[in-house]
Amino acid sequence: MECTTKDSADRRYSYRVLVAMTLYLVFLVPDVWIFRHYHPAAGLTWLLAILPALPIIGVLAATGLYLAEVKDEFRRAIMVQSMLWSIGATLAVTTVWGFLESFAQVRHIEWIWVFPVFCFFVPISSALVRWKYR
Amino acid sequence: MGCKTNNPAVWRFTRRFIVLSLLYAVFSVLSTYGLLRWHSTGIVIWLLAVLPAIPIAMAVLLTGRYMREEKDDFQSAVLVQSLLGGIGATLVVTTVWGFLENYAHFRRLDILMLWPLYLVFVGISYGIVKARYR
Repeated sequence: MECTTKDSADRRYSYRVLVAMTLYLVFLVPDVWIFRHYHPAAGLTWLLAILPALPIIGVLAATGLYLAEVKDEFRRAIMVQSMLWSIGATLAVTTVWGFLESFAQVRHIEWIWVFPVFCFFVPISSALVRWKYR
Repeated sequence: MGCKTNNPAVWRFTRRFIVLSLLYAVFSVLSTYGLLRWHSTGIVIWLLAVLPAIPIAMAVLLTGRYMREEKDDFQSAVLVQSLLGGIGATLVVTTVWGFLENYAHFRRLDILMLWPLYLVFVGISYGIVKARYR
């Protein structure tokens, strides 16, 4: 199986995810800085908290669009399985950590880390799923 | 569109999912009891923490299996969209709450809540997707 592709749906997906992830970082860094240094008022706090979540909707929208646009059933199946494995791994890891945190005094992991953990598992899952079908 | 179905793949999925949910409940109680009472150390702590994550990982694998078994493309599409919706909502809520928890002193939520939260969002998402196609 080839790793590179010239499928326009794949290109559009990569472009959309790249834009969304860039926006995520663009919103995240100043957000943390403002929160740490300025202690914003209640209304602004909500606005700042929601801001980095918007590109996450973008990533999921890009995935939905990809599934609608891609013509190849096999590629669609790989994307769906990769997402499924990633959320599975994220849920499994957070559950294990949750128990360790509650009962074994392991460091508290903030909810803010759930998205990066999910993103960490997406390429791993994708590679594993592709390898499975090789 | 009725709520009841004669689709054997759906029945198999539902039956297996209920079994896994019960296993999750049993393992969670067992792990909590073990971690609280036995004052376990080292590898035993990890084993007890991993125990409830096993049914979660299996539930995700089960979803993948259901998608392979499901002959009805419409049902598959509804499930995929519901899962995407569930993943998206979970990631958005955890990111927003993460910021509020970190910087606005909102209540610290246990990361163990992630799995139930995901299930709730997949359920809501499933209802919305079904209603859209009604």
